[in-house]
Amino acid sequence: MDKEFDVVVAGAGNAGLIAAIKLQKAGKKTLIVEQHNVPGGCATSYVRGRFEIDPSLHELCSVGSKEKPGSIRRMFDDLGIRVNWVELKDCFRAVGRFSDGSPMDITMPCGKEAMIDAMEREVPGIRKKMERLFRLFDEVNEGLGYFSDGTNYNIRYALKHFSNMLIVGSHSCKVVFKALRLPQKCIDILSTYWSYLGVDMSRMSFLHYAMMVSSYMEEGAYIPAFTSHELSVALEDRFRELGGTIWFNCRAESFLFNDGKVCGVRTSYGDVSCRYALANVNEDIVYGSMVPKEIVTPRLRRLSNARKQKFGARMFTVHLCLDVTREELGINDYSIFMLGSADSEKEYANIMRGMEHNTFAIFVCYNVANPKASPEGTCMCSITTFGSPVDWDNLRPEDYAAFKEKCARKLIKQLKDNTGIDLEGHIEEIAIATPWTFARYLGTPEGCVYGHETADWDDIISRSLQMGKDYPVKGLKPIGAGGPRGDGYSSAYQCGELMAGMVLRELEEAAV
Amino acid sequence: MRERLQKLKIKISNFKLKDMLSFKNLPLRRDKAIESAPDSDINTSFPINENARKLHPNTQHMTVLGIIEHPDSGARTLVLRKADGTSAAWFRAGQYVSVKLRIGESLVSRPYSISSSPKDTEDGRLCITVKENPGGFVADYMLGKIKEWDSLLVSGPEGQFFHDSLRDSRNVIAVAGGSGITPFLSMAAAIRDGIEDFNLTILYGSRTERSILFRKELDEIASQTDKVKVIHILSEERKPGFENGFVTADLIRKHAPDDYSLFICGPAGLYRHMEGVVSELELPSKRVRREIIGVSGKPVSAENESPDTYYDLTVIQGPETYRIKASSRETLLVAMERAGIAAPAKCRSGECGWCRSKVISGTYIVSGQNDYRRHMDKETDHIHPCVTFPDSDIVLEVPRVYN
Repeated sequence: MDKEFDVVVAGAGNAGLIAAIKLQKAGKKTLIVEQHNVPGGCATSYVRGRFEIDPSLHELCSVGSKEKPGSIRRMFDDLGIRVNWVELKDCFRAVGRFSDGSPMDITMPCGKEAMIDAMEREVPGIRKKMERLFRLFDEVNEGLGYFSDGTNYNIRYALKHFSNMLIVGSHSCKVVFKALRLPQKCIDILSTYWSYLGVDMSRMSFLHYAMMVSSYMEEGAYIPAFTSHELSVALEDRFRELGGTIWFNCRAESFLFNDGKVCGVRTSYGDVSCRYALANVNEDIVYGSMVPKEIVTPRLRRLSNARKQKFGARMFTVHLCLDVTREELGINDYSIFMLGSADSEKEYANIMRGMEHNTFAIFVCYNVANPKASPEGTCMCSITTFGSPVDWDNLRPEDYAAFKEKCARKLIKQLKDNTGIDLEGHIEEIAIATPWTFARYLGTPEGCVYGHETADWDDIISRSLQMGKDYPVKGLKPIGAGGPRGDGYSSAYQCGELMAGMVLRELEEAAV
Repeated sequence: MRERLQKLKIKISNFKLKDMLSFKNLPLRRDKAIESAPDSDINTSFPINENARKLHPNTQHMTVLGIIEHPDSGARTLVLRKADGTSAAWFRAGQYVSVKLRIGESLVSRPYSISSSPKDTEDGRLCITVKENPGGFVADYMLGKIKEWDSLLVSGPEGQFFHDSLRDSRNVIAVAGGSGITPFLSMAAAIRDGIEDFNLTILYGSRTERSILFRKELDEIASQTDKVKVIHILSEERKPGFENGFVTADLIRKHAPDDYSLFICGPAGLYRHMEGVVSELELPSKRVRREIIGVSGKPVSAENESPDTYYDLTVIQGPETYRIKASSRETLLVAMERAGIAAPAKCRSGECGWCRSKVISGTYIVSGQNDYRRHMDKETDHIHPCVTFPDSDIVLEVPRVYN
């Protein structure tokens, strides 16, 4: 087999797979090299006894129904990717305390109208303001589409069509919610999703929030029927069907340059040549370890240093396979956010202080959405929180097992205290994934799953507006959760598609 | 649209223009933040990643420090030590390592339960025990050829056969046969060393008193801690102080408290025997754990076939393609190993999925009891070659061994 390709994609993560499909479909001879023996990165699964566990996915946004498809479903349809989607009924249930200390136990259904109705029940008289908020979401989404497709923008056009978006565009959720004069109780409920982006509301761009939350609320949330491994296998299959080549257990060691431009990739299978390379790899690894020093521009070094290794979410998840049904355990909700405080700033600060102070967790029972998530008579759940370097940087390997068990116990107790759901005595299989686990399988810095925090000056809108400056290396682009679309499955897919589009344009220009 | 927007009239600060300007200046704000950072090298070392590598190394280069012969049990223990003198990877008592060997033209690997205490890793030591297996290609090599100061390529610790305090009962009844004692010896030592905390009663079946493996070590640990008990069962001898015959449900009930987890490790015959015992005990599946060793049974159609049916196996490994022969009586992994192809393998029991490969064309038979594949892998012709037999000519895409 020859080793010459138009494009090499290093890493078969969500962004890498989508980018590879788009490139191969456009007639570019594309090779994916993946260090692991399965595709998907985070989007995978593993088997324990009679159970198959999804290590990361809770829900995807931007899928939408067949009748009213969202951007992800449209992208998958366009690229010819087939997935068995399962729709979730509710967005979430949240239990804990409101900012004023009163007990919180609310369920937010999917769908704009149902969601506004539910909010009206919790905060009477809020309807008008909620409708206004949703209209702002709509405008923001239109505006974001305009600003972040990687082409030039015209500020006059924007002023005419998205003036409100421009007004809120540089502000955090906290500032915008306050300006909209939303009551604190309403803000508390709307803040629940902060954890999906891993940044508290005072540092989270309102635009980023609006993009994700409006999608969940309006288009609903979906999961694949057979774990996120189904997504990755569907993507890999499509790539192969289009004639693409994929090598597993094949690590991209470094990118090769000729005259300052990428000309190949050094892999554990040998050198391959290419005209372009996409790295579905964290930027700090790409520029820190995979390219010659002289290729890295001062701006790239300064960017990395400015980010101060503030990596987004490091996950801690306990996966529980139980030998009773969810009905027997009294589980009725797909996902329950357990909040120590509705104040995301306080919650974030506590998380960073380590597990002892961490009061936040998300419980998921997969069988609520998908009765076939586990064998008959059983159910499968997970409890997830964030890990802090305080706990995981200096832990000794010999203390690792005991510490992760202690953390898991704490989460199981937290579930019982918050909801009365008692899983003890029913555990048939258990798997605990820590930041070390993610570091082992993904190789991302600090085992982060999201790349650098999308916060303050480095939020996704600022990144999008500077896409021209952020990719100075000729013939090489890092893609993935750390990119201009931010983190999460849907964002990574979108990033892969966006960047593949840019590569195609560049390759065409070069050919002219 | 226009009308809708005007009605929205969002106001943040007193001057609309100020907010718009600050949006327009987002790139400037970002430039400022970036330009004020130092132009020093990008950090590439992260404590969490280093910890993960320490706990889960891909390979450990080890030296055979000593060999302990167990002549009456037909086994030997290899005392291994990291070649560079550093600590061996920490493990959970009960886990195994996969040893990679080149024997003649073949590239093979075998999983061996670690028989020493996790505590011994601190001075770099790790013990594995190899039992003789007449005609066994690798066992013969490990018993006959390996000598002190030889180098061995050993994987990081692997496997799920360990006590989990959240999942398992505090009381474990361990049923061991022959060299299946090794993970339990490690667990017993870990309990003594204060690393694990549960009550372990080992029902250990041997043929005769003389052939009991690690008897001295087991008795010594049992005398050091109340949490470990050992009951010997002899199948070919009647002797006072020993149980006789095989492990029965009654024998387990005799030694078991109300709540217990049953752990089983031994040769294939023991698992077949224990199937009946387990169903008689009516234990829920969460209370029974088996260390899965090897292919539990060759599928019927492979058994019945006339000997020596050979198929063409085409192995695609990245840019390379190999054409070899594969016997219907041997797994696809064995066929590749015989041909010297660097195929990945760890558990050799279908469980770990490390050898996951894609069938491009051809038919195959998966050993039913060892089918631990993911749902979508079954749907898309992905197989674990360590437990899969060819049923026609096959074209297979196989990842290469990863170091």
